[in-house]
Amino acid sequence: MTEVVIDQRAADRPQPGKRASLVVRLTRIYRTEIAIAMAIVVLLVGISFWSPYVLTWGNLANIAQAAAPLILMSLGVFLVIATSGIDLSVGSTFSLTGMVAGLCFSAALPWPVVCLISLGVGLAVGAINGGLVTVVGLAPFVVTLITYAIGASLSFVITNGHSIAIADPNFWTLNGGEMIPGITNFVLFCALAVIALECVLRKLVVGRWVFAIGSNDKAARLLGIPVHGVRFGVYVASGVAASFASLLSLSYISNSESTAGANLMLQAIAACVIGGASLFGGTGSAIGAMLGAIMITVIQNGVNLIGINSFWQGTVTGAVILVAVLIDRATKVRS
Amino acid sequence: MSAPRETQAGTNATAFVLEAKQIEKSFGATHVLRGANLRIRRGEIHALLGGNGAGKSTLIRIISGSHRLDAGSISIDGRLDPNPNAIAVVFQELALLPHLSVAENIYLPHRKCAFARLGEAACYAEARAALALVDEELAERTLDWPVAQLDLHERQFVEIARALSSGARVLLLDEPTANLTFSETERLFGILRRLAQQGISTLLVSHRMGEIRALADVCTVLRDGRSVLDRVALSDISDEAIVEAMGQKSSAVSPPAPRGAPAASARMQIVLRSPGVSLSVASGEVLGLAGAPAGPSGVIETLIGASRPAAWQITIDGIDVRFPSPAEAIRAGVGYVSGDRAEKGILATLPILDNIVAAARVADRRILASSREATAAQTALDMLSIKASSIDALPQTVSGGTQQKLLLARWLAPAPKILVLEEPTRGVDIGTKREIYAMIRDAAAAGCVVVWWSTEFTELIAVCDRVVAFDLSGQASGVLDRDELDEVSLSRATGMAA
Repeated sequence: MTEVVIDQRAADRPQPGKRASLVVRLTRIYRTEIAIAMAIVVLLVGISFWSPYVLTWGNLANIAQAAAPLILMSLGVFLVIATSGIDLSVGSTFSLTGMVAGLCFSAALPWPVVCLISLGVGLAVGAINGGLVTVVGLAPFVVTLITYAIGASLSFVITNGHSIAIADPNFWTLNGGEMIPGITNFVLFCALAVIALECVLRKLVVGRWVFAIGSNDKAARLLGIPVHGVRFGVYVASGVAASFASLLSLSYISNSESTAGANLMLQAIAACVIGGASLFGGTGSAIGAMLGAIMITVIQNGVNLIGINSFWQGTVTGAVILVAVLIDRATKVRS
Repeated sequence: MSAPRETQAGTNATAFVLEAKQIEKSFGATHVLRGANLRIRRGEIHALLGGNGAGKSTLIRIISGSHRLDAGSISIDGRLDPNPNAIAVVFQELALLPHLSVAENIYLPHRKCAFARLGEAACYAEARAALALVDEELAERTLDWPVAQLDLHERQFVEIARALSSGARVLLLDEPTANLTFSETERLFGILRRLAQQGISTLLVSHRMGEIRALADVCTVLRDGRSVLDRVALSDISDEAIVEAMGQKSSAVSPPAPRGAPAASARMQIVLRSPGVSLSVASGEVLGLAGAPAGPSGVIETLIGASRPAAWQITIDGIDVRFPSPAEAIRAGVGYVSGDRAEKGILATLPILDNIVAAARVADRRILASSREATAAQTALDMLSIKASSIDALPQTVSGGTQQKLLLARWLAPAPKILVLEEPTRGVDIGTKREIYAMIRDAAAAGCVVVWWSTEFTELIAVCDRVVAFDLSGQASGVLDRDELDEVSLSRATGMAA
């Protein structure tokens, strides 16, 4: 059965009567996230002993650019994981979105139209996932394994495996433009997405429903929470987030490939886990998922800079996940 | 509070907060309810009784709105339109959200609009008000704790608060005291009595005469889907009459007397030691364990090889033994039956056959699932007169009480030297309980040492040769011999309600 693991931080039992100050409360709520952020800093400083270049603005901007699509994707996957589901299809949705966008650009459609059409891919995959999980009642793992396989295959089928170079001269502005002067778009999108999602999860009823379902779905149903509706919604959100991540990446790289998202699904799940989410659902935060994604990108960056054969990237990432999960386990109490 | 006097003719119909009349319900060809009645007055504590399969749980599901009825009527406060919140089932643990705060657990059902703000101030205010109705101290202390940090009885209080906050008129509690200490039970009963004075009724579903007598005013007894006793004041009826109405022989109240010299050819002596306590048990003896879970579970986990490091030291015939794993314990001749069927007993997706031979497979280190297993399993079913359509059917096709007997059947073939039982009669009707008592005595008569933890003192008193009592901190507080065993002494030694 599911085991319920509760953060030690909650064991800092608040005093009755007056509530603690805002700073104290935030520190308590975001203890895990603060720890991850510090771990990222330690990691960067550690890498700088081998390669001082890591701490230059140029490299930090590279890391941010590389992390942006993964952050967006991880936010979507986190929503699904928080309801104790899983979404294995995000990587192939990422690839398929890129190929559909490539075809649309080949047809010389204006780039905003291309974006809307391409987001439809994530919407459709998410709706199929959500529908099969809720209406038909299949297990999320099975459902998204199916859509993962089909999506991965279709992203080869629709261009016969050829990659497509994007010729549109203005599409780069989606990623690199500055809608707010001084802030590059990809940073803006990530920041907005994280802040908005964090607020929804903490302050809106639907956000508490997401955690409620992950905490105990039978109880949630008995409480009158629209379990099916919320479940459906998180899969759609996850699909759309994966599509948007793909567009952002495509806008930067200007070349769509059938294998673009191949590694991203595992990285997104790993980001959520590093960020404190439990695969049993009910825990974690959007900020944690973002930090997890950043940490994974920093590791990849560091492996490159230090000059380790990039085949080792996965091993290093795996080791870091293991350490993160072990630390997490050691600081949490079982009940 | 004053117990409402009952069964006067011509009572005012509107005095009933819940009135279920002539309820009929079939599942396929099985006619479960055949005209059941249940009438509950405002501010009354009402006990619903019946054997396994009498239709209790179906009736509860119908009045709480999770099943539809085929025929009959349900009115709440005299109106036929059902208010889904008026009848609230207070589950012992399942129905709360462990990761969310106490306040959110109480307040979340109030918010139906997904994209509205939760509103922390309103959430805390409402939750505090509702929880204060139940327990002031809890409301002051725990509103922003995750529910997972509360004790079992505190979770029960939160559920009651949530029900009240959602407008419940009748609280439905199913064996609510099974794991409560004496003082927790008193606290719960106090709350229910106080709520009754404020007009909130309680429907108590229980097999435990102790808690029924202590709390309820009136009872309704179901048998074969009909109400054979409809609103009878508990002060007017004896336990025997109730059991008879349930369709079970009244001798069920007194299980088979223990004793008789063990027919043991190979006598065995087990010594259990922990700091400060030493217990010696011989073949043929039934040793009861009584008290809050902390104490008995230490003994049980040591005996079945589930705890590391072992809390107790075991010596069998003068030789110290230690079981590093449950598998080793089974091979050394220890059998174990848990009362937590769903979590620790039944293998729900495997047929009855596999459920029965599971232990024998481990004991004999079997590699092949041989065809002889089917014969052995059938023999076990016959010996314990377990009714199952087929050994290839899934366990869920038989009733809960029968599933419990399947768990006992598991140990017929391995013939353990030590049989460890953990609340094997929980949620089982009186008839099945009696059969389980008989099985326990049979096992002892066959030379087995039976170690049995129960929270029902009456059955320990009736069946055990000796009982070890544990206090609330989990320390052994005394060993009671047969002639000192009664509910008073057990209550005193354990701090638990009888």
